[in-house]
Amino acid sequence: MKKIILLSLIFFTLVADSCKKALNVTPTRVVNETNTWNTIEDARAAIMGVYGLTRSALAENNGHWIYGDVRMGNFASPNRQDLKAVISNNLNAEYPVLNELSNWRRFYAIINAANIFMERIHEIKEKDARYTANNMTVDLAQVKFLRAFAYFYMIRIWGDVPFITSSREGTFENQPRSDQGALLNYVQTQMEEAATDMPYEYSRNDLQQPGLYYSRGNWSGILIKKLGAYAILAQVAAWEGKYTDVIRYTQKVLSEYTTRDDLSLTGTNTLTASNGFFYNNTSGGNDNQLFAFGFGWNDQEAAFTGNIESLALAAPVVNKNIPDIYVPKDSILSIFKEPGDGRFNVDTSGVTHSDALNAPNVKGYFTNFLGKYPIFAKIKCIMGGGIDNSFRLFSSAIVLTRLEDVYLLRAEAYAVLGENDLAIADLNTVRQERYNVDDHGLSQNDYVAYSAGSSGPLVDAIFRERQKEFMGEGDHWYDKIRMEKIKQSNPQFLQLISSGGIYWPISRDILAQNPLLTQNSYWK
Amino acid sequence: MRIIAIITFLGVLCTTTYSYGNTAMYARASNRIIIKGGAPLKYARKIGRDTVAKAKKDTTTSDSAIVVTASFKNAIATRLQSFTNNVDPDKLTSYPAVSLQQYLKGQAAGVYVNESTGEPGTVQNMFIHGTSQPLLSAREAYSTQPLVILDGVELVADHPFGFDIQQYKQNEIGPATNTLAFVNMANIESMQVLKGLEGTGIYGPKAANGVILLTSKGASKKRRITFDSYAGVATPQSVTTINGQFESNFRKQFYNKYTATGSFSNLDSYPLFLSDSLNNAFYGPSNWNDLYYGSQAIFGVNASISGGDERANFNFQLGDTKSGGVADKTALTRYNARFLLNMKPLNWFTFSAMVTANQLLRDGNKNVRDRLEQINYLPDLSTPLAPNKDVYSDYLSQFTKGFDKNKTNLFAGYVKAAIDLGNFKFVTSYNVDYNEGYRDIFYPRTLLQTTNYASDYFGYNIRTAVNNLATYDYKLNDDNKFNFSLGNTFEYDTYRYTYDYAYKGSTDFIKINLLNSDPNNVNYLTSQVFQSQLIYKFLDKTKNTQVAFYGKADYSFKDKYSLSAMLRADASSNQQPTNRWFYSPIFSAGWDLKKEFFAEKNDVSALKLQASAGRMGRYENFDNYAQGPQYTAFIGYAGNLITPGYSGLSTMTRPYTAGYVPYGLKWAYTDQASLGLDAEVLNKRLYLSLNGYYKHDKNMLLGIPSAAEYGYTSVIQNGMAVRNTGLDAVISGVILPSENKFSWRSSLNVNLNHNVLTALPGGLQQVAIGDKLLKVGSAVDSYWLLTNQGIYNTDAEVPVAGGKTMAYNGITLKTGDPKWKDINGDNEITNADKTLQGHALPTVSGGWSNDFAYKKWSLNLDFYYNLGRKVLNQEMANRFDFYNLDGANNISSVKEIFYWEKRGDYSKYPIYNPASSVDPYQVNQDLFLENASFIKLRTVSLGYDLTESLKKKIPSLHRFYIYASVNNVFTLTKYTGPDPELVDYTGYDNGYGMQIPRTYLVGVKLDF
Repeated sequence: MKKIILLSLIFFTLVADSCKKALNVTPTRVVNETNTWNTIEDARAAIMGVYGLTRSALAENNGHWIYGDVRMGNFASPNRQDLKAVISNNLNAEYPVLNELSNWRRFYAIINAANIFMERIHEIKEKDARYTANNMTVDLAQVKFLRAFAYFYMIRIWGDVPFITSSREGTFENQPRSDQGALLNYVQTQMEEAATDMPYEYSRNDLQQPGLYYSRGNWSGILIKKLGAYAILAQVAAWEGKYTDVIRYTQKVLSEYTTRDDLSLTGTNTLTASNGFFYNNTSGGNDNQLFAFGFGWNDQEAAFTGNIESLALAAPVVNKNIPDIYVPKDSILSIFKEPGDGRFNVDTSGVTHSDALNAPNVKGYFTNFLGKYPIFAKIKCIMGGGIDNSFRLFSSAIVLTRLEDVYLLRAEAYAVLGENDLAIADLNTVRQERYNVDDHGLSQNDYVAYSAGSSGPLVDAIFRERQKEFMGEGDHWYDKIRMEKIKQSNPQFLQLISSGGIYWPISRDILAQNPLLTQNSYWK
Repeated sequence: MRIIAIITFLGVLCTTTYSYGNTAMYARASNRIIIKGGAPLKYARKIGRDTVAKAKKDTTTSDSAIVVTASFKNAIATRLQSFTNNVDPDKLTSYPAVSLQQYLKGQAAGVYVNESTGEPGTVQNMFIHGTSQPLLSAREAYSTQPLVILDGVELVADHPFGFDIQQYKQNEIGPATNTLAFVNMANIESMQVLKGLEGTGIYGPKAANGVILLTSKGASKKRRITFDSYAGVATPQSVTTINGQFESNFRKQFYNKYTATGSFSNLDSYPLFLSDSLNNAFYGPSNWNDLYYGSQAIFGVNASISGGDERANFNFQLGDTKSGGVADKTALTRYNARFLLNMKPLNWFTFSAMVTANQLLRDGNKNVRDRLEQINYLPDLSTPLAPNKDVYSDYLSQFTKGFDKNKTNLFAGYVKAAIDLGNFKFVTSYNVDYNEGYRDIFYPRTLLQTTNYASDYFGYNIRTAVNNLATYDYKLNDDNKFNFSLGNTFEYDTYRYTYDYAYKGSTDFIKINLLNSDPNNVNYLTSQVFQSQLIYKFLDKTKNTQVAFYGKADYSFKDKYSLSAMLRADASSNQQPTNRWFYSPIFSAGWDLKKEFFAEKNDVSALKLQASAGRMGRYENFDNYAQGPQYTAFIGYAGNLITPGYSGLSTMTRPYTAGYVPYGLKWAYTDQASLGLDAEVLNKRLYLSLNGYYKHDKNMLLGIPSAAEYGYTSVIQNGMAVRNTGLDAVISGVILPSENKFSWRSSLNVNLNHNVLTALPGGLQQVAIGDKLLKVGSAVDSYWLLTNQGIYNTDAEVPVAGGKTMAYNGITLKTGDPKWKDINGDNEITNADKTLQGHALPTVSGGWSNDFAYKKWSLNLDFYYNLGRKVLNQEMANRFDFYNLDGANNISSVKEIFYWEKRGDYSKYPIYNPASSVDPYQVNQDLFLENASFIKLRTVSLGYDLTESLKKKIPSLHRFYIYASVNNVFTLTKYTGPDPELVDYTGYDNGYGMQIPRTYLVGVKLDF
């Protein structure tokens, strides 16, 4: 009897043990806390995650362009009712895309991922000797920058937003909106701190980042680097109206870009080529994208949506009948009315020689100019950068800033501060790359410099130049606001600024979740 | 005695298996009892063809020498169940169904089957006693399905995890074939629906939504041959077609009313396909229906042979069935094979093994939507398919250059050994269910703007289980009888798929991903025809394990009173380690009133009362909740979910779009109680069964939209509770008994269900998720709608309060906008003015069956009905919303060929300004809500029994029965759309439901 009891006890232990084992199934679809924050590979996956989330936040529903280019901008929409509503600033109209774009969750995902990274990265430092102190410093700088960038982006869209700097795992308390002025100061400080810790280049034996970064040689156009951070800082300062800071930041970039980094201005043909400036080349060569998010063709990251091409391209560039957005002929003619412009020119007989597809020499922004819908084809990275028009898979990068932007920001700052000669010099630096064709579209050695007679007053000329240069890069809306603030001449728009009409409404879904939030007054 | 108890215990532990498995044994046992107990009225369905019933009995069980389970009949437990659970499989065979769901429709009170399309072999859902969760997506639909058990093998269904990589979630990647379409009713001896815990308890947490228990026909010691066959034709109903002229006229009224110039703004363009009235493709004859709709031959052949002796016997069965849809040449072909072997090497030892192998080949529809969703790429959609036959046939002919091979293989089997030592019995079994699906597709360039597409899918689901069960019968004296059981189960589920697809092959002639095969060449294993950047590959797997132990004690006193108590301990790998086990009790009791009060009265042949109450865990199907806070590789965004990483490097982030999973998630469970009465009175002429139930599913997980400022779409929390209460009733009467030349028996089953959400996580009173509002105190299947009261014909009609004109979400209402009711009186139309209305699932449903017999003739009429169900007519909303949909090149602007079919009642809807930014034709308003109650005559079948007349010539003949039937004869409904049944569980009728065909067939049933 005792034996039986003893035996049964042994069996019971065995069974209980096997139960436990059987019930611990390691999932292959998610990673739990025990299996992460252990190795250098985890650190790489986490920081790439923050980048990836930023890219997704900008690309989702083509937000970057709808916020920046479509809203009261150069574009018109033939058929898409939701885009028509955005164009006319009718942002609370009942369309799914508008509701999605008024939801800031995807930006807070960047912030949360960054917060978690900052809170947890020390664990890897402690566990994995391969993860060096320098690696951690550089990682933290980038993550800090991306978090600040997310705030900057949101502030431009919604104004005041909740300020969250910790992951607050599991106890997600609702927060009210914080004053955007204070937030912008925070953004600026954070970005400056981050920029200080960043190398000029990665894996190129920079003093601040010796050796190979995550064992990879080529990080061209993938990560935020020092001068990119300063370029974005210049955007932040300009948005705040702190033009002396703009000069300070732009100075840093413009004085070091040839010595410490390997950057150059981009010619018109490179800008518009389907495998040019906007195309992410796996072998590098994307350094001129100062801060950008690529959709690498060879990495299978090319996408059907999340790029300007999916909005703007149509026949004959790709096989789609009518574009979602296009620049009407009249607008093109009134925007690109200066002579000698490689991006768009038309001779006295009304013939354009800058066709984006067929121009023999300098290929410009537009094609099908004589059709009902001129196609904005400045950016057309179709699949692997070819001209195959049969499949609408695109690989252009989201470029947030480039040297031309920095030059024009400095010109803007100089102009605001009354240093007109310096401003004109910067403006001409950019013009040198663009106004260098004759009226038959042939390249010239000379360029048409700024003159008040043909280009208009300086501030207007600088912003007009921005409008042309960054068309389709998601900048126009913010440029327009800065311009109106500087010029103070358009009472209607100033009214829009003062009443908060330049912001987006906050999604009803968000308001329903967090009772501490209030709708932007303009959209109440 | 004590030793036996210990052996039992050890036996259970050693084998480390579980199961109250052997459920099949259980079921078979209980059925036999019912039959011997004097044919209760549920079987009286067969009056008028009593011989049939007898013949059937002959061929099935009465002469089975060895049935492993025979030793396990537990009289007490059987007494605790209602007769209403049983569905008669023999009768069902006259309906040419291919899926279990179709067979069950309208047959059992409390089972609601949602057949949302007549396309054969597609996934169908069923709900026992309402839904226990709001049906937000395929995940919830999956989690609310009952467990189906075939001969003790718990069947595994396709897991919805494939949806995670899909932008468009209409059909899951892979075959998307109904895995229950293999059930061959001709081969099923009994089918039971277990609804309450008294029946489902022994099957554990996977059975929380109810159980459908199928028992196949067994072996026999005499040689038996059966042959069943039917052949027929599925025919479409006629439709009215329209062409471009009709559509253009329809649209013109909007332009006439709201525009002076014929366009809403100078940017508008009238769609190309309507702008040229000389275009014969669109403006010519609309005769596409000749090619789209068509009759199809259907048939079923089934044969079985069984034989052996008292020590060993077998049953072997083969079947071939073809079912056809009436549109797009859809079809399902099925091959069945099954082999059963029983052996009794020793008097106290029996051994039994079964294996069934089935293949389903499905020809799916050619819908543009389904194809584009598969391809995951939208071409320019501005020109739809043309209604002209010649143009359409040209389009159809493109499909012949490619293929869409859809194959599912399903295997199930068990090995069982039983020891019978008189009072002590022990059974152990090993069960396997394995399904594999293949889908290979090639679409040529001509179908997609010069881009071709190839894809390959292979996926499998496997469930293996080891079950042990020991029982001990103890008879204290004649009055006091006990039965003790102890069992356990180990069950392992694995779901896995590999999937790849590629675009833009260099030629249409190589339709597969051919790889370079020379290992010495640098291009070894690269693709010959597809660019490597355009080949997308996926691999996914999810596994879970369930362990259960349970004990059960049954007691009966004088066979009048029965009591049963059960205690379960369940564990699942899908629960967090800190809350892995769930313990639950179940009690049931029965009282035989017939023996108590009417023992001497013969006209009361049965009268009993049963009650049960208990709690059981609900199985969690998703493995991520077990992990607590977690990280995923998902880095995509709407429109591009499959982004593999950032710059070629994999990423690891929180599951922001799937929702935050905290620590401390607990088991969800169901509290259930039922009270039932079965009565058979008036000399067995009236049978009545009433079963009131209370089913309260508690502590369920719900992703509450919150923490947006922390990046999450939602936070997963315990605490949702949904209560379903209701009544199942069956009333059958022999109106004219079978002694007469002419007999008539009628049987009505009805389920009344009341669904209410009783709690939300964190004490919330309501939460909006997408288009749905979940509100404590209201049903989870209600629609959340604006109330439409007409139209504002002028700006002046729009109400003004406090100097402010009424607005819709901040947009001032104008001429031509809908007059929505301002429920909260704030002079603004917002979500606060939406109310919960109607139900997507019926509140009353069931069937009504009539059997007439005259001499050897029998006639059966079977009705099916749904009441108290409403449907949102999305298709009509889309028709009227043409202005927005044409502009959007997205999946909802796809127009199918049946866009050119006239459906719905156009006159019901006001002519709003379609260009208004308030979205006047949004579907979520009561303008599109319609009463979808209906009653259908599902089957009329006429049969003649030739057995007796032929028996003289062929003495070995047991049965010779011929029949003819017409199915889906007519539908009575107020619904203005095509068919109120053809709407999925969401209740939005998108018009994609294919007609359920009317079929005409003749059949024969032969037993030797």
